[in-house]
Amino acid sequence: MKKLNVLWSILMAALLVVTMSFPARAQGVKTIKIGVIGPMKYMQGKNHWNGALLAAEQINAKGGVQVGNQKMRIELVRADSNEANSITDATNAMERLITRDKVKFVVGGFRTEAVLPMQDIACEHKVIFFGCGAADAQLCNRLSQNYDLYKYWFRYTPFSSPYLVKMLFNQFDYVAGIIKETLNVPKLKVAVVTEKALWADTLTKMAELLVVQKGMELVGTWRPSAKATDVTAELSAIQRSGAHIIFTAFSDAVGITFVKQAGELKIPAAIIGTNVEATSDSFWKNTQGKANYTMTSASYCPGVESTEFTKAFIEGYVKRFGETPNYPADTYSAIYYALVPAIEKTGTLDPDKLVAFLETYEHKNSVSNLKYINDTEGKPIHEIAFGPGYATGIAVQWVNGKQYGIWPYKWKMTPSSPAVTYKGVVKYKVPPLLIQKYRVNEQ
Amino acid sequence: MDFILFHLRKLFTIVKNEVLVLPSRVAVIVFVLVLLLLPVVSNDAYLLRILILTSIFAIFAASWDLLSGYTGQMSFGHALFFGVGAYTAALLNLHAHVPPWGSIPLGALAAVVAGLVIGIPSLRLRGTYLALTTLAFPIVLMGLVFSFPDLTGGELGVSGIARLAKTRVADYYVAILLMLGLCAIMWKITDSHTGIIFHAIREDEVAVRASGINTTRYKLLAFCLSGFFAGIAGGLYAHFMRIAGPSTLEVSLSFQVVIWAIFGGAVTIYGPVGAVFILFPLLEFLRIVQDYRTLMFACVILVILLYMPDGLFPWLREKIEKECPRCKVRNIALRDTCRVCTAPLD
Amino acid sequence: MGLIIDIIMSGLINGSIFALLAIGFSLIFGVARIVNFTHTAFYMVAAYCIYVVTQKMGFHPIWGMIAAVLLVTLLGMITYRIFINPIREHEGAVLIATIALAMILQEIMSLIFTGSFLSVPALIEGYATIVGVKVFYQQLLSFGAALLILTGLWFFLMRTKLGLAIRSTAQDREVANLMGINEARVAMMTMGLSVGLAGFTGAIVVPLTIVEPHMWLSPLIMMMAVVVLGGLGSLKGSFVGAYILGFAEALVVFLAPMGAFLKGPVALCIMILVLLMRPEGLFGVSFEEER
Repeated sequence: MKKLNVLWSILMAALLVVTMSFPARAQGVKTIKIGVIGPMKYMQGKNHWNGALLAAEQINAKGGVQVGNQKMRIELVRADSNEANSITDATNAMERLITRDKVKFVVGGFRTEAVLPMQDIACEHKVIFFGCGAADAQLCNRLSQNYDLYKYWFRYTPFSSPYLVKMLFNQFDYVAGIIKETLNVPKLKVAVVTEKALWADTLTKMAELLVVQKGMELVGTWRPSAKATDVTAELSAIQRSGAHIIFTAFSDAVGITFVKQAGELKIPAAIIGTNVEATSDSFWKNTQGKANYTMTSASYCPGVESTEFTKAFIEGYVKRFGETPNYPADTYSAIYYALVPAIEKTGTLDPDKLVAFLETYEHKNSVSNLKYINDTEGKPIHEIAFGPGYATGIAVQWVNGKQYGIWPYKWKMTPSSPAVTYKGVVKYKVPPLLIQKYRVNEQ
Repeated sequence: MDFILFHLRKLFTIVKNEVLVLPSRVAVIVFVLVLLLLPVVSNDAYLLRILILTSIFAIFAASWDLLSGYTGQMSFGHALFFGVGAYTAALLNLHAHVPPWGSIPLGALAAVVAGLVIGIPSLRLRGTYLALTTLAFPIVLMGLVFSFPDLTGGELGVSGIARLAKTRVADYYVAILLMLGLCAIMWKITDSHTGIIFHAIREDEVAVRASGINTTRYKLLAFCLSGFFAGIAGGLYAHFMRIAGPSTLEVSLSFQVVIWAIFGGAVTIYGPVGAVFILFPLLEFLRIVQDYRTLMFACVILVILLYMPDGLFPWLREKIEKECPRCKVRNIALRDTCRVCTAPLD
Repeated sequence: MGLIIDIIMSGLINGSIFALLAIGFSLIFGVARIVNFTHTAFYMVAAYCIYVVTQKMGFHPIWGMIAAVLLVTLLGMITYRIFINPIREHEGAVLIATIALAMILQEIMSLIFTGSFLSVPALIEGYATIVGVKVFYQQLLSFGAALLILTGLWFFLMRTKLGLAIRSTAQDREVANLMGINEARVAMMTMGLSVGLAGFTGAIVVPLTIVEPHMWLSPLIMMMAVVVLGGLGSLKGSFVGAYILGFAEALVVFLAPMGAFLKGPVALCIMILVLLMRPEGLFGVSFEEER
């Protein structure tokens, strides 16, 4: 009897293996399969999926996509890449999406270490991949080296790291100017605090140079770990240095820790820079309400209209999902404003034809006027253009529990370009604590 | 002609009398055949990918068993060897343009050096102290990796590495053949003079030393051999994934390999290999319940451990085979008498 | 001067947090010889429990603490009974079982709360300025709690009957059994005590940290480093080791701000160096080879 049990379990196991080896049957209905891949248990993945879902629902509600002379519906396939914890998992998920679920297009991706091999897989299978989360320049530079292989990759959001740096410095300039004017001090002291991560390395070096260039004093640079849960040591040192401004570059948990502890310790300095956690609705709660006057660069803010489509997108997203979208939710725009129009205008699902079309398709989406640019030799690299009239990003400031857009506010990228202000943007508010401590009264 | 026939008949007799007699040996033969002939039946890239990764991790798990199972040096930082092998192979390939068949062995040699680096401090440590110290090494190395981002690529890792082979099927055969070969070598090592000494060191190190054997040398040898095989696994991983990043040094990878090895049965080379071939595809299979994947995986492990604390494969082997009390030869459990000495099996 | 005060304060506070975690871990190892990887996972469960009580139900954090400690102790004792006790003889299996348990707890938390970062209000809000350095009340609390726990535990182990039973079981399990001590019950009690300590630590420390499903991994590493450094089985050793590593981390952060992310690896290097010189840790009790 016992022996029979053992034989049965072996048989079951063998059956399991056999059933797993057979790929899924093809569906009968005519649909366009789009894969959404991201870390589904985290904010980025949830945004990926929600954005794509909203787009698919809206398009299917209008009857679907016109491909040539037939209408096809969009079918989304959800894939949890688990890229935050395992690169192997991410690549397996991508391969499964393409070879088993047989998707024609993929949107998503976040962690660069995972997106690099995922990009390899997608491009090998000639599947168009819209990157909605990874900013590293390397992803697009690959097109310079091997255009024919990597041309199926399009960066959709955010714009690449070098432009991120440019944007940040423009924002820094603006805010620092206001602070200097309000405090009336001869020289501003700046502390640079950035998480220890590659994307922040170049940023840190450039920030240090910029501070000195602009005639400000650099009082120190701190690099806590991206997941640091205690930065009181760093904050003590910063306070002692007398910094007026703390320039931050955080993308992970340290963004919450730093602002929360700085608020709790009542550090009299203005926190400006980029802090991805600070763009979420739950940031105020997570910092126990201590995040007043924190500023960060962002993509979406309720009330700010980057383009004529922004308002509708934010309202639709909030209505459907109950929270403000974040930049990975641009999977919506990737499908609604880029992919579907490309399919309808070319009348085909052929990846090569679509690539050729998308490369030169300048279009407005919910966050910017998107145009793809070429590299220094004029070859297309599917990188997003940055600047007034194109993608610029915005900046928000938390005031008393709400986010307010504060940039672009009369922003001129070069002295001769026109001033840009987005609808709904207000002026930056200097933290009262800072004014209290450092303001030099006029004689 | 006669020569060939003779050897064929000899092969046939051996297979009939030695291999087909025991279900465990039959299982191994079937396993090998299925793996080798799979691409003929199915060209599914996803399936091949899973099996390639499984083979790579099987080599890794078997190397852990060599060190921690046989020699008793509990290693909780085995990811160090994997990571060193992966990074070295990647860097050599990217900067010195060494092709995979060169960079992987060189990566493995670097892992051997890492083995010495860990082995020497560990000589005086026992049991839990050793386990927790080995845990520390990959973390220290990760700190170093992040400190020199220009060389190691920081959290992005080293990417743009050459492929293992031209096609997925070729990749598959490289991985499978290497896995079968290396695991066979490890199996042979455990059966050899060195292997017996490893075993003895685990059981009672003082007695071994009293017998006049230089346990220091053998312990270091264990670290180096284990490091070598783990380093090959690392190099293969880097070339297959085309990227070598800090994920190869993570604590969770070290924990994973311990889970695989003990789940499958330590102190057997086939245990960890089999465990990886069951658990890794299982984790992928559970994608049908995406959100509950890791939870179910951990539950499976916990439940199996409750009933089979010595590992899955030793338990299975106990169920299907019996050892003859008189001549110590293994027989299939269905038999009543031993096949060699006809003593009653009870 | 200010820098030195900063380092001392920071070191004391870090050390207290490590000490709180390490003492519980050391207790269960000394008595039952179980390397309990789930220790910090229980700490995580306590954190989420407090989050639910304070953020979702709106009660004062003190209720959250009490609920957390009770819940976690209960959970720990049940899981011990069902999963660990049956396989206690197989050391390897116990190791993996505790890792698997920790993973299960992580996944359950992840399913209920998703992977987003959460935080918890402090028991006592605000900060104090001591010798020119700003210190959170919550941090002072953790320092006080560590000392309190240690003295409390010392009294418990040295002066009470159950404490005596625990110490004797730690020294020699078989003989304690022979002398009439119910070894299984003592192990159960110790497990409860150890897990309760983990829950208590969670309650004190969590307002200072971020709550997310993977928060159990890094304290686990540091806790094990502390226990190994101090010597397995020695409570005094864990206490001393905790402060040594706490100071080491503070030194790294203050003297090398560019290398603040290296505080973990540096602490581990110190542990390795100490072990090179003293293979049993600073105050380690060298166990007889159990035959």
